[in-house]
Amino acid sequence: MSEFWQRTVVQPLQDLGQQAVASLSSLLGMVILILLGLAIGWLAKIAVYRALRALRFDQLCDRLGVGFEVERLGLARSSSYLAGQFVQGIIVITALLAGLNAMRTQWTQNLVERFFLFLPHLLAAVVILVVGALVSRFLGRSVLIAAVNKGVPSARLLAGVTRFFVMTLAVVASLDEVGISRTTIIVTFAIMFGGLVTALAIAFGLGARDLARDLLQTQFKPPAKAESDDPIHHL
Amino acid sequence: MADEILQVRAQEQVTALGTTDIVVGIPSYNNARTIGHVVRAAHAGLIKYFPTWRAVIINSDGGSTDGTREVVEQANLDSQELLMVNHRQQPVQRLTTPYHGVPGKGSAFRTIFRIAELLHSRACVVVDADLRSITPDWFELLVWPVLEREFDYVAPYYKRHKYDGTITNSIVYPLTRSLYGWRVRQPIGGDFGLSGRLVRHLLGQDVWATDVARYGIDIWMTTNALAGGFKVCQAYLGAKIHDAKDPGADLSAMLMQVVGSVFDLMGTHYAVWSNASNSESAPLFGFPFEVGLEPVAINLARMIGAFAQGCRDLRPIYAQVLSEATLEELDRTAALAPDQFILPDETWVTIVYDFALAHHRRVLNREHLLKSLTPLYLGWVASFARQTETENAAQVEERIEKLCLTYEQLKPSLISHWGAEKR
Repeated sequence: MSEFWQRTVVQPLQDLGQQAVASLSSLLGMVILILLGLAIGWLAKIAVYRALRALRFDQLCDRLGVGFEVERLGLARSSSYLAGQFVQGIIVITALLAGLNAMRTQWTQNLVERFFLFLPHLLAAVVILVVGALVSRFLGRSVLIAAVNKGVPSARLLAGVTRFFVMTLAVVASLDEVGISRTTIIVTFAIMFGGLVTALAIAFGLGARDLARDLLQTQFKPPAKAESDDPIHHL
Repeated sequence: MADEILQVRAQEQVTALGTTDIVVGIPSYNNARTIGHVVRAAHAGLIKYFPTWRAVIINSDGGSTDGTREVVEQANLDSQELLMVNHRQQPVQRLTTPYHGVPGKGSAFRTIFRIAELLHSRACVVVDADLRSITPDWFELLVWPVLEREFDYVAPYYKRHKYDGTITNSIVYPLTRSLYGWRVRQPIGGDFGLSGRLVRHLLGQDVWATDVARYGIDIWMTTNALAGGFKVCQAYLGAKIHDAKDPGADLSAMLMQVVGSVFDLMGTHYAVWSNASNSESAPLFGFPFEVGLEPVAINLARMIGAFAQGCRDLRPIYAQVLSEATLEELDRTAALAPDQFILPDETWVTIVYDFALAHHRRVLNREHLLKSLTPLYLGWVASFARQTETENAAQVEERIEKLCLTYEQLKPSLISHWGAEKR
């Protein structure tokens, strides 16, 4: 009887107790790791912010046009601060994953493993987006200034189209990098681009030929050469 | 020993010449149509005014394909045809050589300066190869102050149409005068006289692989002469008429090059200009005389339209450079009717100073910054042209003087902002 009692009641209770203790220690480990991550992340944010400010990172970003966007979109009070927040985020996420890993369950270990396999693609996608944003802004501004100086009436439209196409390319490339509906995105982009070109071709060649000509003449054609050339010797 | 600036043939020719007193340098690139006239004027000037001085005419060419160098080599310098009273005792030598280095007028000047240095010349004159109005008298006026009055730098003083040289009138002259405290009316004229001392000083500067070698050599020389404490004067040369201008010349690129050069030099010479206040006239030599000037037609409506479009479409860029008050003033000006269009001097000077500060702090890409100044500059030209429509040359000069004084009055504000951190 006592052997039966021991096997069916006491032993399971002892096992449960041991598992509970083990889980509690894992949970405690996870909490400690996360708290440590939060503290280190906060310190790292301050350190990165101050170091970048000392290195005049904000001025560099201003020159590249990033600083203005950061302020305009209200992302952070400065580019240096945003970089500090980015480093803090990485440390906190790493601590969170380390904490989850400390639980030592199959599910958490799979999650951590998949995250680290995915991380390089995510970083590459972020880099593509950032570079795309910078290039689109630079080219858009180049087109805008050149068009205004040539007296093209739709200068802002041209600049906007330039920015849109460069940014669309960057978004497609970054989504492709993280593997989100790769085929769908490429097909969508191809259809959009092809559709636009086809529409323009039809406008030029068929029914709206006159309208297209008038529209393009009024919107994009700079003033006649005789008008735009002035005889002033500026120097 | 091989010279890093001169080609071997040019070195040999220079060695054969020994020493000389006066060097006349003519930088060229595809100027076959006009350079013959310039060479003959130089030769006649040297015969007439400096018959006993040893002199050489140098053509520093940038690889012309229209026969420019052949024109120089074959130019008829027979003084019998010139009906000169003086008979030259020293023959004028002639030398034409391609230059090394970065393509541009600055590299051509470097070659001329190097030859002048090797020849131990006392005076060096540089003149443009596309001049149609150059006369032998120019050489007396550009050389004499150096040889006889010990000036180091002789800047030209031309009689120009009121709508001619508007970048000079609106930015380069008033800004240079306000910064360095000397009134040199044509700081980027193109025709200058230099002493041997100044030539050696300029040649020793480490700028010959920079934009100075490509463009901006004129303002660089003037600024170096002013900031370096050299003795500077001006010579009245009368009218300046060029060969027809390049129809492909882009105003915004021109503005970027000239204004960018002035702004770059502000960074280099901050210690000098931040301590200079007011201004005084550089002595003027020569006999000022009236000349007939070709009328210049101007399209006011197009310029005002360009200004208004710039204020509207480039506002996000201007918001990074100009203050809110200046932006509001621009909006107010853009809304004016063409017959009432006026861009006040204070607003224009504030714009130029703010662009200089933005250039210094690299607020945005410098090419974008400088090219975005074009519509505002056209606004100033339109305003100036409208206000001076019925004014004569003296009244126009008074108006430019008023603008210069505004530059000088607002300079303390520029100095106070120059060293300040953005945030």
